[in-house]
Amino acid sequence: MVVEVNPFDLTLGIVYWLLVMVAIVVVGLIVGLVASLAAYGSSGPRRMALTIQRGVRDLTFLSPRRIMAVATLTFKEAQRRKAFMIGLLFLALFMFGGWFLGGAGSDRAAKPYVIFVMTSMSFLLIVMSLLVSCWGIPADIKARSLHTVVTKPVRRSEIVIGRMLGYIGVLSLVLAVTSAFGYFWIWQKVPASAQNQLIARVPLYANEVQFLDRTGTLSNTGLNVGDIWDYRSFIEGGTNSRAIWKFNNLDVASLKRDGKLRLEQSFEAFRTYKGDINQQLRYTLSLYNPTTKLRVPVGTYQVQEHSADAQKTTVEIPAELIYRDSYDLDSPEKKVQVFDELFDNGSLTVEVGALESQQYIGVSHHDMFIRLPDRTFLATYVKASLGLWLLLVLIVIIGTTSSCFVKGPVATILTGSLIFVGFVFRGRIDTVLRDLAANSAPIGGGSFESLYRLATQMNAVSPLPENIGTDVIKTLDQGVFGMLRVVNALIPDLQYFNTSEYPANGFDVPWAGMLLPSLVITIGFLIPLIILGYFSLQLRELEHK
Amino acid sequence: MADNVIEIRNLSKIYRDFWGRPKVKALNSLSLEVKRGEIFGLLGPNGSGKTTTLKLLLGLLFPTEGTVSILGRPAHDVEKNERIGYLPEESYLYRFLNADETLDFYGRLFKMSATERKKRTDALIQQVGLQGARRRQLKEYSKGMTRRIGLAQALINDPELVLLDEPTSGLDPLGTRDMKDMIINLRNQGKTVVMSSHLLADVQDVCDRIAILYRGELKVIGSVQELLESREETQLLTSELSPDVIKEVEQVLGRNGASLKKVSHPTSTLEDLFLRTVAESEARPGRRFEPGERPSNEKS
Repeated sequence: MVVEVNPFDLTLGIVYWLLVMVAIVVVGLIVGLVASLAAYGSSGPRRMALTIQRGVRDLTFLSPRRIMAVATLTFKEAQRRKAFMIGLLFLALFMFGGWFLGGAGSDRAAKPYVIFVMTSMSFLLIVMSLLVSCWGIPADIKARSLHTVVTKPVRRSEIVIGRMLGYIGVLSLVLAVTSAFGYFWIWQKVPASAQNQLIARVPLYANEVQFLDRTGTLSNTGLNVGDIWDYRSFIEGGTNSRAIWKFNNLDVASLKRDGKLRLEQSFEAFRTYKGDINQQLRYTLSLYNPTTKLRVPVGTYQVQEHSADAQKTTVEIPAELIYRDSYDLDSPEKKVQVFDELFDNGSLTVEVGALESQQYIGVSHHDMFIRLPDRTFLATYVKASLGLWLLLVLIVIIGTTSSCFVKGPVATILTGSLIFVGFVFRGRIDTVLRDLAANSAPIGGGSFESLYRLATQMNAVSPLPENIGTDVIKTLDQGVFGMLRVVNALIPDLQYFNTSEYPANGFDVPWAGMLLPSLVITIGFLIPLIILGYFSLQLRELEHK
Repeated sequence: MADNVIEIRNLSKIYRDFWGRPKVKALNSLSLEVKRGEIFGLLGPNGSGKTTTLKLLLGLLFPTEGTVSILGRPAHDVEKNERIGYLPEESYLYRFLNADETLDFYGRLFKMSATERKKRTDALIQQVGLQGARRRQLKEYSKGMTRRIGLAQALINDPELVLLDEPTSGLDPLGTRDMKDMIINLRNQGKTVVMSSHLLADVQDVCDRIAILYRGELKVIGSVQELLESREETQLLTSELSPDVIKEVEQVLGRNGASLKKVSHPTSTLEDLFLRTVAESEARPGRRFEPGERPSNEKS
């Protein structure tokens, strides 16, 4: 499993959210003013002020009773229109799904079952959430049943919120039932020999990783062996090259209570010659206290290079470790109190060196972690389901809001596109914008510069001629990047919602790294979208011909 | 002024296309008032602006020009709906709910406790005669039953003002009669009723005042009595007279400068005949009327 989620900074996120909200309000007011002047002339601003005043009242004085009435109606609607049949579809999948999942290697046997459950649940429920949330209000308007509601003392904000709650209720019920069924199905289908993989490892990752090369020079990356994917960098075997992980601010007392230190690694082998193919590449693992200069070799281990993605090795280090300074078995044995002598003021340094000369071992930041006491598979499964639930809530919020101003099919496409872009492209746009912020323009420039280079058959790195045309192109590109920033701020960052990999790979879903960002993003979208949905419905003539 | 439940001033509505170009002028400078406690009829052919007027009153449409005051509040005000009941032209209710659930749902939108809702639901179901169908989903209802439950939902909050859009549309004569009786009963309870219709007989039967719209413009407004009364003629209704007596009456009239224009037996309406026939048939199943024979004149 590759952990490459952008780190989430809650404070920064809230500040950024507030900035975006202010920007949206300012733009909204300007657009509203222009529209009201165009529609009503000089009385436009007064009408707009009244509309905003009414909006504030309608969004503040909400009646829980009426909201619940609309939510209950929505729930009943889904029930009577047999939306819950999607659950039966899910059950049908499980009747036959097991046929195709057997036969995997015993090491990986649990993963396909968990992936199958999580994927089918996600797929069915995402489709269901799109359909119910995007089609409900337009169908209500088309059938004019909404007219009988808005002619009662119901604020349109209550309709929007009630509808959202109703859809969330329906989806929550289906999710609860399907995930419970899926959980028991996994335990029933996963072979007994692989059921030990159904756990929730809790990793504690290092704060930094550094590399020593053969000359003893320290750097942030190791060697590049020509792999395009630069997730891992390599250490050279048979030299002083080492990868060094530094864990800071550790709760040593808590670790000590467990009576042992567990380190888990999963490295990659890179051979420059075949060598003894039956002999795996080996590496040494040492703990080092930089203050006392005490370096303790823990042992020699092998990279599981032929076992696909399950090269993990778990090393359990007792609180009192007996070791030798060298690999000479005649050298005297020594004892060290791991938690007292190798932890340096709450920090731990772990070093890995490759043994075989001219062979390389690839490592990354997240390839090594302290494995805290495992949690149950149920815990991570429930958390992953919670992540999916938050995603469904977000889809419902976006879908319901878009259905307030466009018809069902358009709302479905709009919401589906936002979700797709949020999953697939949001991270990439983030990277581009981060590079831009660091004054590192993309190779070949922006859209207009690229177009110019294509038209003039100029390569991507040659400097552009210094003339007014270049200035125009650069300015236009800045405009495009500005637009990109705006679009980026309006697209939900859904990488945090993709929690299904965690239980599938036997990891605990991290609260701070995944669920908290998902929750914050959901709330961050909820507030402005309710306001947008309200004004869309309020300013819309329901009976317009 | 205080007795006016609805005040409409210079109300115009222009429907526009996507680009904002005028498409139809549905209402043109309409001004009228509806007084408290009356049954007011909006009359006109299809497309005359009746339904548009009602929808403007309810805030479902926004006026292009003019103002609307309903129960002293603007049309877009949500609180005014606490005191209003609305029956749409078609009963656009939630077809997946049954009658009980429908009334309970709409009741929950008002400040009504569960006990109140239950009590009110029972009373309204009884009033509109749906006791036998209260557990059936509305999608199984006939047109008449749908209108009945539509009326019931409009009355769930015991409103001061009831707006009825084509209340008798699609109903059979029995249903029409029941609906008209219910409307009159609402007035007797002190409520104000505004109804739109193009069925003139229905309006004549129940309305105190009417406005006739044509192509979005107000053509005539006034009380039904005043508008229909012909002051130049006098009608006497007596017990049956012999030809000699009629002749004498004619002579008397001639001496006073008047003339007898028409002597005939009064006729009831076709609706009355139909209702009496049905009532008689229900009272005496299997009975067939001989040619020329009529059911009794007692009204059903």
